[in-house]
Amino acid sequence: MSTTKEVSITVEHVTRVEGHGNIVLNAKNGEIKTIQWQISEAPRFFESFVRNRPYYELSHITSRICGICSIGHALASLKATENALNIPISSQTEHLRKLALHGENMQSHILHVGYLVAPDLFRVGSVFPLISSAPETVKKIVSLHRLANEMSDLICGRTTHPITLVPGGFSAIPSKNKLNELKTRLEKSLQICSEVAQVILDNADKLPDFTRETEYIALTNKDEYALYDGMIGSTDTGTHSVEEYESIVNEFIVPQSTAKYCKHHRESYMVGALARFNLNASLLHPKAKALAKKFKLSPINYNPFMNNIAQIVEYVHSVEDSIHLIDMMVDNGLNREDKPSKIHLSAGRGIGAVEVPRGILFHDYTYDNNGLCTKANCVIPTNQNHNNIQKDMEAFTPQLLEKPKEEIKLNLEMLVRAYDPCISCSTHYLDVRFIDE
Amino acid sequence: MTKKQSKPKIAFFDFASCEGCQLQIANLEETIIEVADVVEVVEFREVMTEQAERYDIAFIEGSISRPIDEKRLRNIRKKTKILVALGACAHLGGVQRLGNQWSIKENLKEVYPTAKPADIKNNEFFEKPRHKAVDEVVPVDYVIPGCPIDRTEFIRVVVALLHGNKPPIPDYPVCVECKKKENVCLFTIGKFCMGPIARAGCGAICPSHGNECEACRGYISHPHKDAQIDVLEKYGLSAKEIMDRKTMYTYRYVEKEKQEEEA
Amino acid sequence: MKVLSKHDFNDFIDALISDETYHTHGVKSKGEKFVFGPLESHQDLRLDYDTTILPPKKYLLPQYETLIECPLSSPFEIKTEHHEKPIIIIGVHPYDIIAINQMDAYYFNEDISKSYLERRKNTIIIGSDIINTHDKAFFGSMNTAHVDTGYDLFITDLGDKVTIEIGSDRGQHLIQKAARVREATDVETQKVKALRLAAQGKAKRGMKIEPNQWYSLLDQNYESNVWKQQSEKCLACNTCTLVCPTCFCYDVNDEIDLKGNSKRVRTWDGCMLRQFTEVAGGEVFREDIKERYRHRFFRKGKYLPDRLGFTACVGCGRCSIQCIPDIADPVKVMNLVFDASESFVEDLETKPKSIPVETIEVNEEDAKPLHHPMSATITNIKKLTEREKLYEIELDSGDALHHMPGQFVEVSIMGAGEAPISIASPPKKKRFDLVIRNVGEVTNKIHAMKKGDTIGIRGPFGNGFNEEELKGHDLLFIAAGLGLPPLRSLIAHVLDEEYRKDYGKITILCGCRQPCEVLFDNEINNWKNGEDVNILRTVDKCPDGECWEGDTGLITKLIPKAKFNPKQTMCMIIGPPVVYPFCIQILLDLGVPENHILVSLERRMKCGVGKCGHCQINNLYVCKDGPVFNYHDIKDLPEAFA
Repeated sequence: MSTTKEVSITVEHVTRVEGHGNIVLNAKNGEIKTIQWQISEAPRFFESFVRNRPYYELSHITSRICGICSIGHALASLKATENALNIPISSQTEHLRKLALHGENMQSHILHVGYLVAPDLFRVGSVFPLISSAPETVKKIVSLHRLANEMSDLICGRTTHPITLVPGGFSAIPSKNKLNELKTRLEKSLQICSEVAQVILDNADKLPDFTRETEYIALTNKDEYALYDGMIGSTDTGTHSVEEYESIVNEFIVPQSTAKYCKHHRESYMVGALARFNLNASLLHPKAKALAKKFKLSPINYNPFMNNIAQIVEYVHSVEDSIHLIDMMVDNGLNREDKPSKIHLSAGRGIGAVEVPRGILFHDYTYDNNGLCTKANCVIPTNQNHNNIQKDMEAFTPQLLEKPKEEIKLNLEMLVRAYDPCISCSTHYLDVRFIDE
Repeated sequence: MTKKQSKPKIAFFDFASCEGCQLQIANLEETIIEVADVVEVVEFREVMTEQAERYDIAFIEGSISRPIDEKRLRNIRKKTKILVALGACAHLGGVQRLGNQWSIKENLKEVYPTAKPADIKNNEFFEKPRHKAVDEVVPVDYVIPGCPIDRTEFIRVVVALLHGNKPPIPDYPVCVECKKKENVCLFTIGKFCMGPIARAGCGAICPSHGNECEACRGYISHPHKDAQIDVLEKYGLSAKEIMDRKTMYTYRYVEKEKQEEEA
Repeated sequence: MKVLSKHDFNDFIDALISDETYHTHGVKSKGEKFVFGPLESHQDLRLDYDTTILPPKKYLLPQYETLIECPLSSPFEIKTEHHEKPIIIIGVHPYDIIAINQMDAYYFNEDISKSYLERRKNTIIIGSDIINTHDKAFFGSMNTAHVDTGYDLFITDLGDKVTIEIGSDRGQHLIQKAARVREATDVETQKVKALRLAAQGKAKRGMKIEPNQWYSLLDQNYESNVWKQQSEKCLACNTCTLVCPTCFCYDVNDEIDLKGNSKRVRTWDGCMLRQFTEVAGGEVFREDIKERYRHRFFRKGKYLPDRLGFTACVGCGRCSIQCIPDIADPVKVMNLVFDASESFVEDLETKPKSIPVETIEVNEEDAKPLHHPMSATITNIKKLTEREKLYEIELDSGDALHHMPGQFVEVSIMGAGEAPISIASPPKKKRFDLVIRNVGEVTNKIHAMKKGDTIGIRGPFGNGFNEEELKGHDLLFIAAGLGLPPLRSLIAHVLDEEYRKDYGKITILCGCRQPCEVLFDNEINNWKNGEDVNILRTVDKCPDGECWEGDTGLITKLIPKAKFNPKQTMCMIIGPPVVYPFCIQILLDLGVPENHILVSLERRMKCGVGKCGHCQINNLYVCKDGPVFNYHDIKDLPEAFA
């Protein structure tokens, strides 16, 4: 095909992603004039309006930052509050919280890969046509999604906007019987997981083969594949304490863009399942490791499209780890937590870092002597990815220009979907006027 | 409904929200297939690419905050027969409505301290209320309240609309559902719960898990607020603390009272 | 009295639990409180409890109960009910046993509820003595600390031993699962008596009047300031009625699922909620919180005693414990009313029975499923006005309705609900007429129906016009608006040549708002031709351009124009609530005796059989004692013409 053509594509409100984002491409004669990833999500200003709210409300409010990662936000929020106010938690609480996070990871990953990305692999517009063309697979995906949700319902009372997660512990805990029931279901689901993974594997060749050397940042922990707790790890610079997060994240404003960008060691960095995998693959449980091998996924992998494969691997790991956690809790016995522990209020600042499905999340709170929040900062994983999406688009687009317009559009959208962005979480964006028509 | 009749076309739209309410639709799991038997989903940006020109029922999630959003919403209102506000953001303005306490300048300054004045100069929201509920912009036919919505309530509403019935959203307090479940009343263990004036329909899910009700479904139509304040004073809380404290979702009522006082 | 060791008692409980033929429930802990629930082992059982959050009424009248389940497309294919295993409830305190007997008296009164009866027969009660007493309990003041009947077994925990009294054959049968049961010694019997005395003494909280004096105190203090003062703090959360063992009002709602199945579900309701008395047109008959608050005490202390003969409060203290603003405590409230009353004269004639209440025996054949509609077909539809249609209906069974003029039916549309509609035709025919105004969800659905469609009918219900009262008199009919259809049933009946001679001169006054709302214009004109019949008609106003031959102005203006002999005439008035006080006053002024005036009142009618509680006007049920009332009987009822 001739390279003198003009390509002008605007995708307003990319579909099958959470939140509102646009892609703008303008190219002529093989030269790219504009390639941009724009955020058009309306701001909600969480860090501003949590001021003057009492400490026990913070996790309830901040879970509303995102519908899919609400448990992750609640946990990061609670860790920050507990850090700031010196509230201790029991090991039972830690186990239950890890279980909650696994439930969320499982729910989010299967939703993303099964409902939002799979249609691209089958070249359809949504999961709905797949209900008739691949009913068995859809049923399996749905059953895995249901299991993950019921797991979160059991631990948190509700999967979206958890209820039982409170500073210092839980307002209600599941019974031993219910946990054992859950464990049985998780064990049975491993077979279904591998069947679904096989279907993805059979179609994995539709994922573009694109790589760009990138820095990956995620929580890292020497004892386990870190999701709930750890230090900040970078594939370039090693480990850092969570307290140093601001110097890692380095948010800055770019005049011609609509979102804040982040960078660390290079121009941009990536967070998410692929980042976690690249840093911590050796700590995965056996079945997850075996699955990664099947997909030929090994650290360090620089193809952003493999982020979705890493999500499948993490799903299996979460199932395996959940089974271990339940065994541990049932062996130790479960203690009632009806009576809230005494909390002593005094001014302080605390930072909580947690891995949510899309990457590393930071909540940073400052409280006054009355337990009211005076300052808050939340750094969302998708926000940390915007810069990297932009850079990836800049590198990927030249490879696409030869293709028909529809193919270019689909590939760029697939790139965005590969990151599994959670745009409405992105509380950090600036320029309203850009999207006024 | 006879097979000859075509299925009603439904669509989902989101504005400023966490998309948690729409996620509840995805969380219907296998029931989605039963839903797809009786309605045709023609637009649902979060899960599908297709779009449509006309809808029978449009579900709106999210609060409305900018002129461009109002414009998009008005356009949707024109294209649909029935418009349903989905969730606390659409119903009341959501938690983000708390941001209305400060001017947009103050909010921007707090969140983007390094922003240059030039970047916010052309912002036309300076003095206007920011986050609004959907019915403050266009007429709303029905509301499914909650943060997030209860997905079984969503099904009940869809079924009611399909049969030409009014959606069965209760107008009595959460206490009714909480007591029927025989929960230990949180007041009796020293906590403070909005149950007596909050709208039921959620099955008292938060008190059932040991958490105070935060009235995410809004108040009932005729709450006895004066009595409420009296009770709170008995517990050693001032009226001001009540207004400021338990307003995570109900800041809309506070704004309304302030407007009425000024008028 | 029998006795066994604690160890053997525990084995007995475990034997009951592992017996697959029963569900074994009992009192167990929930957090810091107690509830009745399924037991997994004897260790769950907490006979030392003070009180439970909800009373055992939840077993006899469940919080949610499916009354009818059927596909929407065939609403009379009602799925048969399943037969549940018997439930044993262990640990029911005496006051709760008495409350169950009170509930029996209510649900077996006149119309016997079949579903209640089945559940009641399926419930085995093992009562137990009170060991710990909550501060707010006052069963000592209410004389309900002890019962001799009403249980299958009754146990007293003496620590190392448990005594058992056998109350029925079923109890006798159960006790055979226990080992080493022997007769109690005198000492053991004495210990039990002492324990009971102690409990009685602990729960006396200084109530200044006797339980059966509540009646007179309340009767004389309807207008006490206490009601307003206390209700100012009321949140109308309905907790007091939900946790009360002697509250059993309910609501009925229809549900539909995605697959097109529908259910009619009964659920607990309470008079403290604003919607309790709200009708389709939007009117709320007990809107003020003070009225609802007062109503609850009157229902317990005066209205239920009027109907069933006993004071309906057993002193459990649950309302008092769980009322957040602490205004529900009957001891406190009765004392306040007593202190505030200027004088209190006990009315010995109307003194209700002291509680406890005897166990009621019922004849199973008399029990009916009270909520199942009969299938009927719409044989004709006539549009009367913009909002009203006339439906001619026949029961599919071929039977006539056998109704009295003035009675009503509940029209059932599965999936939408039921609407109470007065019967608009005389009893002679098999076919009956209903005039239905499109005003709510159910009537909306009825208006969309066509000739030949099937609907459900329950009834006829209510107290109609008593012919014996009317025979030999002149008759004056005052029909305002939608009051005409029910009066039509009586008018058509008395004008029928077979019955005409039983009545004297007939005068009919008809009024409505405007000419386009006139109902049965042709029929009214035909009535004029009847023997000794005088008809006067009016509209409130006649818009320009419309043709109207009768009077203009309110219907009250017609009354003086009608020439009738007040002393010889029976007057029937039916119309919207606002019409009654004025018409009645004019009639009285003209010399009509009070007991010559009959009215038909309407409230929110749901069950039609005096069980759900929604249609109460003070102590009367519109669906049982009305809708037709003699003015003389209700003239002093505060809520009748409010």
